[in-house]
Amino acid sequence: MSKLDVLIVGGGPAGLAAAVRLYEAGIRDILIVEREKTLGGILRQCIHDGFGLTRFGESLSGPEYARRFIERVKELGIPYLTDAAVTEITPERAVTVVTREGLMVYHPRAVALTMGCRERTRGALAIPGERPAGVYTAGVAQAYINLYNRMPAREVIILGSGDIGMIMARRLTLEGAHVQAVYEVLPYPSGLPRNVLQCLDDYDIPLYLSHTVTCIHGDRRLEGVTISRVDEKLRPIPGTEEYHSCDTLILSVGLIPENELSLNAGVELDPHTKGADVDEHYQTSVPGVFAAGNVLHVHDLVDFVSQEAEALALAVGRYLTEEGFAEGTREIACGRGVRYTVPQRITGKEEFTLSLRVAAPMKDVTIVVRQGDAVIGKKKMKKALPAEMIRMKVSPVEGDGELEVRVDD
Amino acid sequence: MRSGFDVIIIGGGVVGCAIARELSRYRLKIGLLEKNLDVGYETSGRNTGVCHGGFAYDVGTWKAKLCLEGNRIMGDVARELSFPFKRCGKVLVGNTQEDYNRLLEVIRQGEAIGVTGLSMIDDAELHRLIPGVVGNFAMLSETSGILDPFQMTIALAENAVQNGASFFFGQEVTGIRREGDAYVITTPKETFVTRWVVNSAGLSCGKISDMLGLTGYRVIYSKDDYILLDQRLGREVSMPIYTVPSNTYMGIHVTVTTDGNLLLGPTAQDTEDNAYYGVEQKNLDFLYKAAMDIWPHFTKGDYIRTYSGILPKWADEEGRIQDFKMEIVDDVAPRAVNLVGIESPGLTASVAIARHVIGMMREREAFPERADFNPVRKGIRRFAEMTAEEQAEAIRENPDYGELICRCQKVTRAEILQAIHNPLGVSTVTGVKYRTRAMMGRCQGGYCQMRITRMLEEERGLAPQEITYAREGSQMLYGLVREEAHHVEA
Amino acid sequence: MTKTFTCIVCPNGCEISAETAADGLCITGEGCPRGRTYVMQEMTDPQRTIATSMRVEGGETDLCSVRLTKPIPKARIMEAVAAIHERTLKAPVASGSVVIAGILGTDSDVIATKDVAAAEA
Repeated sequence: MSKLDVLIVGGGPAGLAAAVRLYEAGIRDILIVEREKTLGGILRQCIHDGFGLTRFGESLSGPEYARRFIERVKELGIPYLTDAAVTEITPERAVTVVTREGLMVYHPRAVALTMGCRERTRGALAIPGERPAGVYTAGVAQAYINLYNRMPAREVIILGSGDIGMIMARRLTLEGAHVQAVYEVLPYPSGLPRNVLQCLDDYDIPLYLSHTVTCIHGDRRLEGVTISRVDEKLRPIPGTEEYHSCDTLILSVGLIPENELSLNAGVELDPHTKGADVDEHYQTSVPGVFAAGNVLHVHDLVDFVSQEAEALALAVGRYLTEEGFAEGTREIACGRGVRYTVPQRITGKEEFTLSLRVAAPMKDVTIVVRQGDAVIGKKKMKKALPAEMIRMKVSPVEGDGELEVRVDD
Repeated sequence: MRSGFDVIIIGGGVVGCAIARELSRYRLKIGLLEKNLDVGYETSGRNTGVCHGGFAYDVGTWKAKLCLEGNRIMGDVARELSFPFKRCGKVLVGNTQEDYNRLLEVIRQGEAIGVTGLSMIDDAELHRLIPGVVGNFAMLSETSGILDPFQMTIALAENAVQNGASFFFGQEVTGIRREGDAYVITTPKETFVTRWVVNSAGLSCGKISDMLGLTGYRVIYSKDDYILLDQRLGREVSMPIYTVPSNTYMGIHVTVTTDGNLLLGPTAQDTEDNAYYGVEQKNLDFLYKAAMDIWPHFTKGDYIRTYSGILPKWADEEGRIQDFKMEIVDDVAPRAVNLVGIESPGLTASVAIARHVIGMMREREAFPERADFNPVRKGIRRFAEMTAEEQAEAIRENPDYGELICRCQKVTRAEILQAIHNPLGVSTVTGVKYRTRAMMGRCQGGYCQMRITRMLEEERGLAPQEITYAREGSQMLYGLVREEAHHVEA
Repeated sequence: MTKTFTCIVCPNGCEISAETAADGLCITGEGCPRGRTYVMQEMTDPQRTIATSMRVEGGETDLCSVRLTKPIPKARIMEAVAAIHERTLKAPVASGSVVIAGILGTDSDVIATKDVAAAEA
């Protein structure tokens, strides 16, 4: 049994940023636990550029972005374990860590959950048809190509226009595979507009909206897929089926915060984000357990993951030093046009950063945060897309008026 | 040519593997030919994994008798061979007076067969056993249970190999001819010569039967689609929940696997194609609706996988499903055991079938017993099932237990290595999966499949393009992204 | 004539319109001056950067990720990628080091974006 101030579960972008900021805030008795051989998390396989524009004002690749934090962790001498898996967190914050050297149980005063997310799979979508080889999630294909030097695809169809899916369309093309098309069930792209342009348009890869895969064919390697158009309720339209021959189906159909450890710790999840329900201090329903980054809600930009984790670090610092650290209990309601917010609840005593996503693409709108009759936050937007997380400062006022976020025209 | 076999078993499903294991008690040279790259890849691995009580079959049939016997001995077999089995009971829930009367009939039939532990339970007792179930009353079968069909098949096969049997994979039988007292069995790869032959070919039983000259069996196929759900949901379901069976359909089951996953199925649909395992949207829709009627505590977001299985049924001219056919026709095909239409409850009955079949063989020939037969097969010690102290101890003894490969199922490098180097020799990704549970969780290998294919390359000396997912030809990778260069720059 | 562009300079992805009028070019919708520059460039000579990987010999991993330091003409991307893929690096490779100077004779370098240590013997 080992005591600690903070144990950080996961050495990806969120965990690294949290560790550095905690250290800088004077919290030194910390430990990052990372299950891979090296720190960096998913950024290790994201070799494309475009990271760090907000934070560093330059366009870095994933490994470079991670490196800036890893170097800092090493400079500061922040302790970390690699090849170390957290297998359990109890509601009392006993954290079991397994390595080749043995099994350790830590009792940190605070736990930072920064485990990131996983990909939705073919099974979760329940796509009908057979089960051949050659159906990969975008992240698996990315890992095979960028980390394992293994080529998983030749003749490719991509389902889902998430950012990783589009980035993999370009990556596969550069590696000599032929990407026939990207199909998206929604009437608009799931990923960022810049990726539609620079990953698909630039390589003449067509994007078909309101289409989905309705059958998978082949009992050995994938032989083809049936594509159907969908109606406004996303149901396949009978009679629109078309067979396309291919050896690989890449899925980019959504990311899900990886919260198995959190659930075992008793952390309550928000059904919309699939991440923890937190207050503006990123504290979950279990006291002393905090969450930030993609384990909390899926981000589109790593820059904001880092920011969020740093905000978590400051809150954890206060939690460790302030007696009677307040817990946010006042819920923020999602009004018209808003899919979710983080935090889901606040203390109402201080300014905070609100993250949210809209439910559908909109133009010339204003995001308005109300507390009773008072407007406590406002952001005008020329366009608001579900693919883009919106962040805004909100300053609560005195009084117990109901909190609501909505999109106004 | 491989000759000198006393027995060649055709088909590595649970019945073939059980026969191999039970025959390995005797001093015989045993070979098993399987067309797939692993055992249990067709019907045996694609079902609900329920250990049936035996009440659902007509009195006097082999199905009833051997299911009852198979159920009775399952606890001992599971202990000897270390595969997951739980005698958790099972309920058939009903709502109407008609249902009630039908369930009473089922009890009467079961009791006539000799099944014990059957009773009607009321609303209160039903909801004490399974709080969330929808139903007014139920028939409880106490002797029913759940088992892991993959693990059972693998365990039987491994124990057979331990005791000297040889398994040959990727060997689809294309011809059988008699030469004197021997059978010469050909596959596209090899020829096997044997004195005895056993047709336990499951879906191909009709084809093999014809090759033996035992013609005239009409085999029809029934396909079942299933949906597997998250392990979190299985915790609430203490035993399989069935509806009241009709004459033609056993009804939807909401069951729990030995791993704790919730499982919905089957759909029981006649099919012509005994090799098409595609799941259909309309069946998924049906399962969702039907399961919601008895267990409305899941969402489509909890799905982690869908699959299907096919049962071979022997039918008469009118299409009526017949009993298990187990025969040795001495004047047409001496020393040939012919098994036709081994469908449900074949999994439960498998070891009982094997013992019955061997009885038939021994009526014709005395088999000397092996003094050194070892009935015990040790399974892979699962890290996830150990206590913290045991885990610490396991890592001390073998540091590979401290390296987690599959995070959601908590499968370590040690377990994957044991699976790859098991006595049968695993060459496929699904082979590793069914032995270790790696890749079976929510992310379906999103995190660990690259590690597992790399381990298969390293441990078995395979090139990337030789890694197969499941069936022969199910190539996962097309080689290296960038080959080694001829010249290296400084 | 009006043409619409999705700006790729930053993740905001502004939709920028460029209208060719009698008195010159009228650009609207850009969120910052970089958007204007992007559109001007895109109309005359579209440029892109690219990232890929190179084979490493004697390293603890087989691959090293690399990227261009500056955009090059879009039409030459596949050519540049082929030139990068042809070459092999020798470990150790340091992140940030120039592995190919002036790819295809442009002023854009190819730099390693990852450290690859030499394999332990």
